[in-house]
Amino acid sequence: MSRIGRFLKSFFLVDMLRGLAVTLRLYFSRKVTVQYPEQVQEPAERFRGIVRLYRDDKGEPLCIACKACQRACGTNCFDIEGKKEEGAKVMRPTKFDWKLDRCTFCGFCVEVCPTNAIRFSREFRLTGTDKDGLLFHLPDMYLAGEDLQSYLCAGCRRPR
Amino acid sequence: MAFKEINLNMGPQHPSTHGVLRLKLAVDNEVVLSVESIIGYLHRGMEKLWENLTYTQVVPLTDRLDYLASLSNNLGYVLAVEKLAGIEVPRRARYIRVVLAELQRLASHLAWLGFQANDIGAMSVLLYGFEARETILDVFEEYCGARLTIHGIRIGGVPHDLDAALAARIRKVLDGIPRRLADIRALLDDNRIWKQRTVGVGRIAADDAIAYGLTGPCLRACGAAWDMRKDVPYSSYDEFDFDVPLGRNGDVYDRYLVRLEEICQSIRIVRQALDGLPEGETSAKVPRVLKVAPAEVFHTIEAPKGILGFYIRSNGTDKPERVKMKSPSFINLQSVEHMCKGNLFSDVVGILGSLDIVLGEIDK
Amino acid sequence: MTPFVADVLIPVGKIVAVILYPMIMVVVMIWLERRVVALMQGRLGPNRVGFQGVLQPVADAVKLFFKEDIMQRQADAFLFNISPVLVMFSSLLAFCFVPLGEPIRIGTYTLTLWIAESPVGLLIILGLSSISVFGVIFGGWASNSKYPLMGALRSVVQVLSYEIPTGLTVLTVAFVARSMDLVEIVRRQEASGTWYGFLMPVSFIVFWISAVAETNRAPFDLPEAESELVAGYHTEYSGMKFAFFYMAEYAHMVLVSSLVVILFFGGWLPPFPSVKALAFLHAVPGFVWYLVKIMFFLYLYVWIRATLPRYRFDALIRLVWKWLIPLALVNFLVVALVRVLR
Ligand code: SF4
Ligand code: SF4
Repeated sequence: MSRIGRFLKSFFLVDMLRGLAVTLRLYFSRKVTVQYPEQVQEPAERFRGIVRLYRDDKGEPLCIACKACQRACGTNCFDIEGKKEEGAKVMRPTKFDWKLDRCTFCGFCVEVCPTNAIRFSREFRLTGTDKDGLLFHLPDMYLAGEDLQSYLCAGCRRPR
Repeated sequence: MAFKEINLNMGPQHPSTHGVLRLKLAVDNEVVLSVESIIGYLHRGMEKLWENLTYTQVVPLTDRLDYLASLSNNLGYVLAVEKLAGIEVPRRARYIRVVLAELQRLASHLAWLGFQANDIGAMSVLLYGFEARETILDVFEEYCGARLTIHGIRIGGVPHDLDAALAARIRKVLDGIPRRLADIRALLDDNRIWKQRTVGVGRIAADDAIAYGLTGPCLRACGAAWDMRKDVPYSSYDEFDFDVPLGRNGDVYDRYLVRLEEICQSIRIVRQALDGLPEGETSAKVPRVLKVAPAEVFHTIEAPKGILGFYIRSNGTDKPERVKMKSPSFINLQSVEHMCKGNLFSDVVGILGSLDIVLGEIDK
Repeated sequence: MTPFVADVLIPVGKIVAVILYPMIMVVVMIWLERRVVALMQGRLGPNRVGFQGVLQPVADAVKLFFKEDIMQRQADAFLFNISPVLVMFSSLLAFCFVPLGEPIRIGTYTLTLWIAESPVGLLIILGLSSISVFGVIFGGWASNSKYPLMGALRSVVQVLSYEIPTGLTVLTVAFVARSMDLVEIVRRQEASGTWYGFLMPVSFIVFWISAVAETNRAPFDLPEAESELVAGYHTEYSGMKFAFFYMAEYAHMVLVSSLVVILFFGGWLPPFPSVKALAFLHAVPGFVWYLVKIMFFLYLYVWIRATLPRYRFDALIRLVWKWLIPLALVNFLVVALVRVLR
């Protein structure tokens, strides 16, 4: 029986019909496509997007130009210079260049920062049309991030 | 009529060499006479680069080796450094690592399943495999914020704790995978074309496989039981109950079955680890600048593709003097000629796919 | 009706229609394929250009027509250029012999929905579809490159082998209908009250499998197996010539589906033409039935493609010589016997 059964099974293409049934069932199943520009998938809470600088509640910058992030970064993304103004308590960066095209989004800079000044934003749209657009200066570092979309030109992806 | 032997270049731009691998084939009509693999198109000088970075800075770069299983590379390297520096990792961290590493194995095997099926022409399975893999990548994103190059393990522990919400989410993902797998199995397992393309194709005997240094699922498909998780346990793997699936014939079909079964076993391990997750720290105390006294170490783990080893020599500074990597894909690729000779040209694609190579790991 | 309309306008209109009809079907088929495969794989597929993406193939074609036309230096220019034309031409020409529906009466004039009715229409179509093999082999050979050459070789072997069961099964239909005229075959099915597909299921299945193989479609798409041969015989083609190959392939599929419908499923006849209770089905124009049936077979093509892996070459040849040809022969003998005894 089993041999005849197997022959019949193979003669009537049972294995293939099973496959066809699977694809037909999935034809009516839920689709996973996200229609990108209209629907955007929310990145996770901890998403490692573009790195940006933050201010504290009073609007004071948090960065004290200690360069810990610069030392921690394995790919030399940072170029930081700091200066202590007359009468100020702490140093402030005078130059803070960050190169998006070198960043590996490893998170070391975020982990080492003593003042929590530098953090990941959830911005995942990283494209630019030329290298200059991927180099962020100090003012860009405060703007880049959550409000990066309004900050960057939608077409050329460079600061407006 | 005798057909002239022709040399055929497969790659570096070819749809199914899985990256920038070049195979120099000599074929007689469709029969393969010889295969020579030419590698190096993706060489980035990783090992040299690592000598100029601190021990911690190397970790994210190991993501870029086997980019389909980046977390396993992290684990291999980090374990080697910890062994070298004598760092004791808390038990909770070890369990979380097991959860992550097994999820990564799932993701890697599911991606492989898709690629392999697509190489043999079952294009839908590619999407089904990737859909299942996507749910795992979502877990990684939730856990540490990245999906592909995860950097989800730090020297001394793990970057984040695994809270109850995430554990519940992982459980849900694990429930979904067997359902997807059942669809894929219904499409492939008994399908005559699939069987005809895989059964008896690319056979290698266990002795030959060992002689060629084949490891991982490809070795176990020949019937040789050698799994680092079982035989040389690391990172608390000895505390889990799981089987090592074995094949019998060492052909492409057995590799497929072994990987499918490994997916089920990995799900088992993750469930156990989540159930028995001990309380405690998620990271050992590691100095910010890790300096290691001169010594050397070689540590191997069972990566999804085979045995992954890291040799590290330290010289007392915060940078390794030499890091050498034993990458499973590189060694598994060596047996491709043995498997392909005498087979048809179409089979080269299937055999190459069944080895599950990733060029990032081969060329380093 | 003035002679001008009858003798000039209508024939010209028909010629335009016969070129447009396959083209429209090709566009529909490409869209159908991409959408259906996508839906089966849990995604949506092209849905941006036009309603639900129907115009996507048009957009692709326009893009291809504007692309640079590359020919490598070692190629044989004449053969290289002629082969896409040959493939396209043979597919389109075959459509002249494919009836699209019942003749329509307008007053005293009878508008036939075909260009030529020939007593050997079936043979001509089979012959024309074989000519496209020349296009394939010329293209593969003239490219002077290894992958196209292997693709072309595979294609020739495959098409030649599968033509035997095709021919044998077509003969059974011709036997039963006592005609090789496609219009006549449909009329015979109308008269006998059954579709030949139900009368001779073996013929239908063998014909369908061989037809899928002859059109180089999955699971028999070896000549252009993209994971092995990159793109098979048209690897070196680009731009408009590539578009020609591509469209001809789909036109061929439409042609084969039309043939299946005409030979085995009653052409423009509604289902169960002889059952009185279903007579209301006659209210739907024949052309619509015809299109619905063709769409079903095109869908089947896509469905199979989304499901099955690809055959290997030796198994492909084994299948035809060890299974299909004997099966077709036995089937042929049985049909012939029954035909003689009755
Ligand atoms: S995330 Fe890593 S690579 Fe990027 S800037 Fe921070 S430290 Fe450097
Ligand atoms: S961002 Fe943080 S780590 Fe970097 S310089 Fe400023 S304060 Fe220091």
